Amino acid sequence: MASLREVQESFAASLRDAAVSCAVLPPANLAIYRNNASHALRAALASTYPVVRRRVGEEYFRQLAAHYRLQYPSRSGDLHAYGRDFAGFLDAYLEGGEYRWLADLARLEWSHAECSVAAGRPAIAADALAVHSAAKLEQLVFRLQPSLRLHASAFPIFSVWELNQVEDAPPVDQSLANEQGMVLARHDGVEVRRIDAGPFSFLSALAGGATLGDAMSTADLDARALTDALAFVFRAGLVCSLNCCDS
Amino acid sequence: MTHLERGVAQGPVPARAGIGLRSVHHEALLAERPAVGFIEAHTENYFHEGGAAVRALLRARAEYPLSLHGVGLGLGSVDGVDREHLARVKQAIARFEPELVSEHACWGRARGEHFNDLLPLPFTEEAARLLARHVSEAQDFLGRQLLIENVSAYVAFEHAPLSEWEFLAEVVARSGCALLLDVNNIFVNAHNLGSDARACIAGLPVGSVREFHVAGHARNGNVLIDDHGSQVCAEVWELLRLAVARFGPLPTLVEWDNDIPPLATLVAESRRADDILRERRGLAA
Repeated sequence: MASLREVQESFAASLRDAAVSCAVLPPANLAIYRNNASHALRAALASTYPVVRRRVGEEYFRQLAAHYRLQYPSRSGDLHAYGRDFAGFLDAYLEGGEYRWLADLARLEWSHAECSVAAGRPAIAADALAVHSAAKLEQLVFRLQPSLRLHASAFPIFSVWELNQVEDAPPVDQSLANEQGMVLARHDGVEVRRIDAGPFSFLSALAGGATLGDAMSTADLDARALTDALAFVFRAGLVCSLNCCDS
Repeated sequence: MTHLERGVAQGPVPARAGIGLRSVHHEALLAERPAVGFIEAHTENYFHEGGAAVRALLRARAEYPLSLHGVGLGLGSVDGVDREHLARVKQAIARFEPELVSEHACWGRARGEHFNDLLPLPFTEEAARLLARHVSEAQDFLGRQLLIENVSAYVAFEHAPLSEWEFLAEVVARSGCALLLDVNNIFVNAHNLGSDARACIAGLPVGSVREFHVAGHARNGNVLIDDHGSQVCAEVWELLRLAVARFGPLPTLVEWDNDIPPLATLVAESRRADDILRERRGLAA
């Protein structure tokens, strides 16, 4: 008589591979469980990556989902965690071909999924800078919204994402090139926003933990552009607090 | 001390029909506030800190008694209790303060791979003991009693000396859990596997059942699929009548998770469950 462990392992093996038999009656009904699992995982992937699905079409998306599952089986009883590795999978699967931009798009969509269940935090305004002496300002480290995700791509992924919020959108203008921007949990939803290269490099440095002084030199902006970039991070509600580097 | 003696077993969920809270109904439910006895939400959909679903449940929760119904623990898995998942269930309980917390008599993973499905257990002493041990572990960690639901099955195991009700009764006796009796599931299993739905209701110990589920199913060839995608059939309503006669009127959830109809249709379906619960209350009065 098989132990419960043997029963579950042979059932699991049969779910992974229809050619593996399992002592249940009727054996043909195991197909129902195989279909349930592949349907549930494909639906979870489609719900997290709707724009990738729209761009590649239903049939190709099914292929991607099947290959993805073979390489990255589900590791959680919470389906929302499924699909975390999809962008990395696409990088390898598309092997730098014509559609390699789909991997960057998938990274953007994973961030969107993360932000859609994250909480927005209260932000501070730019006048919080005023309490610091000029000497201290350069030493400030910005604590940004924990949900903030930054993306830079050689492809126009933000334009593709925006256009494909509806079914059957036309292809994106091929003349568009690299884009960068952010994804953020707001109190009432998710914000996806393209950002110009200058303020983006400034914001990236701040997000990486650089002091204000270091972020200003990294971004390589003129005084006017720097002021604008600094105003932007406050106006967009990205700053939760300011910490003094030496404190 | 049993979980019952701790006084956390049964919250004030009325013995009325409730509805499953699905995201497509969030807005309508909050706008229309239909008179239903309680709402039931899938625990895993509310694991996260923010988002529209969490905001909707926090608001709905203020209006209705709440049941949190887990689908991801797979407590019958031989690999043990998924403590990370269980910790998130505990967080959800602390946040939403549900009156009822339930899971399934199933397994769901092997060697680290999750199948994200409610997989059937063989009805053996070994499986009943293992499930009971894991249910106890979960109850101890959560500090409250769980309701364990019988699942639908499309296959039976060659070695299964117990009946489904004997298996469930054993789990209750060993763990101190209660049961969530899904009447549609015993109907589906009777059709698919030749078990006896009426004997299951007649066999389960009175007092062990705290909640009922009813749902629609689909037919695929000769197999009934528990898809929660249509109205409840007449035979399942009849089984609910039998169950109410044996276990008394209890919170009764109408599940509708696929081809989800407008909220008003779901509420109308729940009224039919209310009628059956009222018949029994009428008899008692």
